[in-house]
Amino acid sequence: MKSWLRERLPVAEVEAAIAHKTVPQHRYSVWYYLGGMTLFFFLVQVATGILLLLYYRPSSGEAYDSVQFIMTRVPFGWLVRSIHSWSANLMVGAAFAHMFTVIFMKAYRRPREVTWLSGVLLLFLALGFGFTGYLLPWNELSYFATRVGTDIAGVVPYVGDFMIRFLRGGPDISGATLTRFYGFHVAVLPAITTALLALHLLMVQYHGMSVPPSIEARAAREKKPVPTMPFAPHFALRDLFGWTIALALLAGLAAYLPWELGHKADPFASAPAGIQPEWYFLWTFQALKYMPAHILGIEGELVAIGVMTLGALGLVFLPFLDRNTSRSRAIVSWAAVAALAFMTLMTVLALTGGQS
Amino acid sequence: MRRLWIAAPGVLAFAVLTASMCVKIRAQVPSPATPPAPAPAAQVAAKPPADAFKDDVHAKAGLTCESCHGAKKADGGYATLARTAIAPLCAKCHADAAYMRKFAPQVRVDQFAQYQTSVHGKQMAKGETRVATCSDCHQSHGIVPVRDTRSPVAPAHVATTCAKCHADPVRMNPFNRSPDIFSEWSQSVHAEALLKRGDNSAPTCSTCHGSHGATPPGAESVANVCAQCHVREAELFKKSKKADLFASMGQGDCLVCHSNHHIEPPKSSWIGLDDKALCATCHDEKMPGAAVIKNVRKGFDDLQGRMAEATEVLDRAETAGMLVEDGKLALHNATEAHVRMRVLVHTFASPPFDEVLKEGLTSADLANSTGVGAMAELQYRRRGLAVATLVILGFLATLFIKIRKLPA
Repeated sequence: MKSWLRERLPVAEVEAAIAHKTVPQHRYSVWYYLGGMTLFFFLVQVATGILLLLYYRPSSGEAYDSVQFIMTRVPFGWLVRSIHSWSANLMVGAAFAHMFTVIFMKAYRRPREVTWLSGVLLLFLALGFGFTGYLLPWNELSYFATRVGTDIAGVVPYVGDFMIRFLRGGPDISGATLTRFYGFHVAVLPAITTALLALHLLMVQYHGMSVPPSIEARAAREKKPVPTMPFAPHFALRDLFGWTIALALLAGLAAYLPWELGHKADPFASAPAGIQPEWYFLWTFQALKYMPAHILGIEGELVAIGVMTLGALGLVFLPFLDRNTSRSRAIVSWAAVAALAFMTLMTVLALTGGQS
Repeated sequence: MRRLWIAAPGVLAFAVLTASMCVKIRAQVPSPATPPAPAPAAQVAAKPPADAFKDDVHAKAGLTCESCHGAKKADGGYATLARTAIAPLCAKCHADAAYMRKFAPQVRVDQFAQYQTSVHGKQMAKGETRVATCSDCHQSHGIVPVRDTRSPVAPAHVATTCAKCHADPVRMNPFNRSPDIFSEWSQSVHAEALLKRGDNSAPTCSTCHGSHGATPPGAESVANVCAQCHVREAELFKKSKKADLFASMGQGDCLVCHSNHHIEPPKSSWIGLDDKALCATCHDEKMPGAAVIKNVRKGFDDLQGRMAEATEVLDRAETAGMLVEDGKLALHNATEAHVRMRVLVHTFASPPFDEVLKEGLTSADLANSTGVGAMAELQYRRRGLAVATLVILGFLATLFIKIRKLPA
């Protein structure tokens, strides 16, 4: 069998590449595992998402009932749905953590710009998965949170109205929005993600793990190479260790804190109190609340969206903005600390009901 | 220290401001014993007549001061109408069907005829001018249609309007009428529905006493008055043995158990032969009907007990994250059976009651078993998780040992 495969596939080359592949070993090596953990959560999402697809019905009349059916009647349906919801959140959390460690370790610098670009786009796609998937159970909270979320797009000048109609499939959240979000969630986003993920993983393998500048400098000072460990089995087993911990965490959360379904959405009912988006959008939601109505004659919300768009663009083009000097690296680190502190503060304020 | 002195006037001002705000807020919050706030129409009436009349439905229909008061007097003012003349004056238009049709095709024109049959109207006809006439309830110069929520006779304001006189001991004592009726009604299930839940179909004074023909319903017509809303209860009561019995005793059917103004939500503790039970007012262990009373009470106790058990286990399961929609539906059916049982109490017999009781108990048991099943499923899941966790931990330990044994 093995020889049959070797004759037809580049098994020997792959085996040789794996055998020779090494991973830098230093005090920050532990952060390398976050990327793998994000990938693990993504794979869980794919597997559980396919299972949910077998029963889910994407129409405003049936969506809620079908999710309820999954949770009450389908064997282990409650577990699959709960794992899908928890894994989505953990995936976004792991992706954010991965991004910040890459920033702090300056792993985006030349020649890894393509790896960084594909990674940032993958993070945006993960947020897109979260936003579109949140509406799919068609419950009260998701319905009104999506209305608030899509309303924000309307603030953008000239194209705001078009964007709202594009996102909603009409002037308001309706069955058309649900089918649209479903299409994005199970077809458009997965297709783009698969392509970008393949590119991202290929680039990671091609360039290998980046070594932080401080470690590189120390090695240069001591005139010693940076220590490494073999990818297989040393790094692979450690990665598997991390994945297993993630699996244990997922199983525990799904069984002890099953994801709630809430009440079925009623478009004619008034919005319930305490509407909030998913936790990873909370900081933007809270920051918008603190914006004054007008800043220098410009609508406050528009200013906030402008600043956030600039921030996102800055993130995308970070490798090209950082000139890779010790000064520019320090500026990037402090900007990342400030952004992290701001996001954490806004999230905490939103969770504790600040200016609600 | 100096900073403290500078801050002191600010703190003092803040304290005074806060205290004054608290006083204002307290003044705006009625205590439970305080009647609801007076109708906004009272504010309309406080305006000078000419100003109040600008917002009057009659002004909008083209009437003027002269239409009611006649021509101006020599001093430029208008003559005040005698109280006995007010109702006949209003009736000149409001009892004229052909005239009223021009303004509102479906408006009623029997108000004056009704008024003449009322206690107010009869007393007024005798020259007793302290009783109510049209303007006492509708205002004199700021009259708005009844459907206007500002009207003092809009459903939410009727009781307050009646209370202006009927809750005033000075006005009621000369007529030997109790001034407590309004406060009694205010504590009733009807007042709660009307004033707290905003259900305008809930009964207020005029629903039972009539509006223009306001008169206390006699004992013989109480059941008919309550039957306006409580149709099924009245139907069952009239077919029961109690209807003839109460009639022969001159008792006001429904009032015997439910009283008149302070009508409370029914309680199963009313049924029984113990001292606190209402039935015990007339019945004892030796009298016929004791077995039915005990059976009905036991039925309520059994169903309520099982519903409470089901509610408790369903709540626990739901709090633990389980979906118990089937159980909730069954509990809803049990609650519905409970409501129907309360209605069937008015048959004063066991057979129809027992049938619905059986349905209720079956539903409550189903709700309970759904909740118990959900809790068992939860335990199963947790045991499964514990086993899975052990397997995962074992795998992690193996991995850890394997990693430690790898050559550096």
